[in-house]
Amino acid sequence: MDQSHIRNFCIIAHIDHGKSTLADRILQLTNAVSERDMRSQMLDSMDLERERGITIKAQAVRVFYTASDGEQYQLNLIDTPGHVDFSYEVSRSLAACEGAILVVDASQGIEAQTLANTYLAIEADLELIPVLNKIDLPAADPDLHARAIADLIGDDPDNVLRISAKTGVGISEVLERIVERVPPPSGVPDASPRALIFDSVYDQYRGVVTFVRVVDGEFKKGDKLVAMQTGLTAEAEEIGVMTPTMMPTGRLAAGESGYLITGVKKLGDLKVGDTLTIASNRAKEALAGYREVKPMVFCGLFPIDADDYPDLREALEKLSLNDASLVWEPETSQALGFGFRCGFLGLLHMDIIRERLEREYDLDLLATTPNVAYRVRSTTGEEIDVKSPAELPNPSNIELIYEPYVRCTVLVPTEFVGAVMELCQERRGTFTTMEPIENRQQIVYDMPLAEIVLDFYDQLKSRTKGYASLDYEFINEKESPLVKLDILLAGDTVDALSMIVHRDVAYARGKAVVERLQKTIPRQMFEVPIQAAIGSKIIARETVKARRKDVLAKCYGGDISRKRKLLEKQKEGKKRMKQVGRVEVPQEAFLTVLSIGEGQSSQKK
Amino acid sequence: MRHLYVHLPFCTSRCGYCAFVVEVGGLERRDQYVVALNDELALEIGQLANSLDTVYFGGGTPTLMGAHRIAEIMEMIGARVGPATEVSIEANPETVDRDTFAALRDCGITRVSIGAQSFQSELLGALDRQATADQVRSAIADARSAGIASVSVDLLFGIPGQDAAQLEADLTAVEELRPDHISWYELEVKPGSKLARDGAAVDDDFTEDAYYAIVERLEAGGYRWYETANFARPGHECRHNLAYWGAADYLGIGIGAVSTIGGMRWRNAPDFAGYVAAVTAGDRPRRSHEQLDADTRRRERWMLALRRDEPMSLAWAGPPDHPDEIGHLANLGLLRCEGDTLSLTRQGRFVQNAVLGKLMEYV
Repeated sequence: MDQSHIRNFCIIAHIDHGKSTLADRILQLTNAVSERDMRSQMLDSMDLERERGITIKAQAVRVFYTASDGEQYQLNLIDTPGHVDFSYEVSRSLAACEGAILVVDASQGIEAQTLANTYLAIEADLELIPVLNKIDLPAADPDLHARAIADLIGDDPDNVLRISAKTGVGISEVLERIVERVPPPSGVPDASPRALIFDSVYDQYRGVVTFVRVVDGEFKKGDKLVAMQTGLTAEAEEIGVMTPTMMPTGRLAAGESGYLITGVKKLGDLKVGDTLTIASNRAKEALAGYREVKPMVFCGLFPIDADDYPDLREALEKLSLNDASLVWEPETSQALGFGFRCGFLGLLHMDIIRERLEREYDLDLLATTPNVAYRVRSTTGEEIDVKSPAELPNPSNIELIYEPYVRCTVLVPTEFVGAVMELCQERRGTFTTMEPIENRQQIVYDMPLAEIVLDFYDQLKSRTKGYASLDYEFINEKESPLVKLDILLAGDTVDALSMIVHRDVAYARGKAVVERLQKTIPRQMFEVPIQAAIGSKIIARETVKARRKDVLAKCYGGDISRKRKLLEKQKEGKKRMKQVGRVEVPQEAFLTVLSIGEGQSSQKK
Repeated sequence: MRHLYVHLPFCTSRCGYCAFVVEVGGLERRDQYVVALNDELALEIGQLANSLDTVYFGGGTPTLMGAHRIAEIMEMIGARVGPATEVSIEANPETVDRDTFAALRDCGITRVSIGAQSFQSELLGALDRQATADQVRSAIADARSAGIASVSVDLLFGIPGQDAAQLEADLTAVEELRPDHISWYELEVKPGSKLARDGAAVDDDFTEDAYYAIVERLEAGGYRWYETANFARPGHECRHNLAYWGAADYLGIGIGAVSTIGGMRWRNAPDFAGYVAAVTAGDRPRRSHEQLDADTRRRERWMLALRRDEPMSLAWAGPPDHPDEIGHLANLGLLRCEGDTLSLTRQGRFVQNAVLGKLMEYV
């Protein structure tokens, strides 16, 4: 199709503002297949589903739309992740589009993440199509929010479309607006082929499926592909588009988006952000790729059952196929055995990976308290990257420690401004700006990422009755007086419980952690002292008293079986404990440190 | 097999902590039940040895049967297998007087276990007990004066709301009354009981202290702490319960009764009408069965025998699942291994579950 009749766009929205519903509506409105037929078709063809791999998440869906000008247009809807942690992934999706629908809930208004993604879209020079969704809700205030959106993107409030993706009101206007305002792609059809890899997924039936946006030239089935960054070559075994099922087309031309299947087995070989060209007509210059993302948050992941270690490795390998931002390396803990130190873009990313490992790969995992990446300059002038407290050199060898800082944007109703500022101050935040947005305040603080990694989000939500929304972006590193806080159980340091903290809060944090642990660790057959220490100096201590009584009260002929089963249950409970030296530690103990508020105990988690 | 348990389920009301098989009311069915027991005994008579060692009437409220029905059952048993060395009956204080005990003694009862639970009226109320503290005292006196050879009192600690002063008062009452035998259980909130539904919470520190206080005071008073929750003046240990803790075989008759014979354990269904109908027709009542394999029996022997104060023979019990733990536990001062025997130290007895958990694989 001629590029003038192609539109590539994505939808950006805050979670729950209706991105998926709008996408579904667009598919419904443009597809010959009705929603009901689609479903029954899928159900009737389980084998087919396997053969053709249509379970693959639709990263880029092609639909055709006949606009009011009577012309047929090819619309490519490119998926974007919705959360702050994935701003990197958002930006790579944006790079494959010329336009973006900005969806805002007409009852909720703009949220912090809407702002962040909007700025990304503006930076990427996309045409924005503002849309207020959920206008059917009684609480909707479209006039108010339309003005705010118009202010944000510098548009006229009248240009903000008002729709209800749920009822279908206004969807065709959205499609018309896309055709009208989103510029067509402007690649060169007869130039040497270049395509940007904007995503790739691993499918168990099809192997690596690579999603590309063709910028120049044309790719055909059978072409010898070259990845310009890595130099890898592979044959295009299949080329097609998602409709949303995989449909081979044999070719993808300039301006189009679609998928490629090659013989490549490892995701890492075809890297997201790399440029594909073909060997016989090699392009001279690669497309602008993406900023290499660095993981910001690290934690140890250990299998509860040591036998699952190889399975965990395999699962991580598979997940990294789909997620270039996930990094990991083997880690050995005295307390927890063999596992992996994993790096994530943020806390949500960490949660998602952990959940996928547990759910999709059926693994029981123990995650240690997350920490950020530090940079240490040693007294010998060496620079060391520290990804876990265990890697922190001896204090006498440390010249300086740098920790990552983020600019943290909170959007909150005016009445909670005080509470938010108080929380940010407690977390070593430095006030930057505050300005009103609609009927709320946008408060910006610069803060150590380490403070957010703790329970900042929980605290923020609980102190603002759930009204605050949060976004943050990495800004720089700052030198900080940081120390390693060790936790000792029965006299032995438990490596998995160590943490790096600011010197000024070390005492309070240590006290809070040992108090927590004292409540979490059950009584054992002997007294268990719990200590917090900096170096060799003990700064806090609690004791888990020895269990003095552990008997089953009555035991007569009628209940011998029941008593035996009680013991079996006890044994079962023990299995869920981690043996650390002589002490049996419940798994949640390794997470309690997470929920330590500054100077107070949070009731959450 | 020389041990017989007879379940007498009738009660006038259900106590808040009770999860036993009981029949509340329906006293007009007592005669029918006696006949049914006889029928079941007839079915199982082949299981019993020529002479019984012990018989135990448990409930329910066995004394609600009336002494004459107990006498009938005793005659029935006597006619089939002859007299037993020890015959125990559980008695609720509000259902007995001196004449009852005299009649029970006459028909061969050698031991009564009086369900006191506490001497504090507030706590008796909390447990939904019918008897007053005074009734408990007079029941003990009546049993003695009627010439019952061994008088035991059942008590509870860890009753919701119980404090140290109330425990002290119960200890003092026991010291004054000096029964021959005391069973002093920690109140167990069993699933299915009213207390479980009410969600009553008890403080761990209090029950720990209470348990130690009970053991120390009763031992100081000349009682032998011969099982986890049982105390006896010398010669008054309950032979029937010792049989359970020795993992001996026993036959249980009546609704809900459990038997363990030759590696098979079964439990009669708790359904009264079904029980009567089956045994009247000469059939065995509906039962649930559990086959005990060699490992299960070995683990049960450990679980039961370590409740005792006397050393356990390893030749009899069989090996532990984790023999290497014996040394560690001995170092911790929790058990002693001498020759072929193993026993818990005093400290070990207080934490016997933890010790068992290290030694045995309960799966």
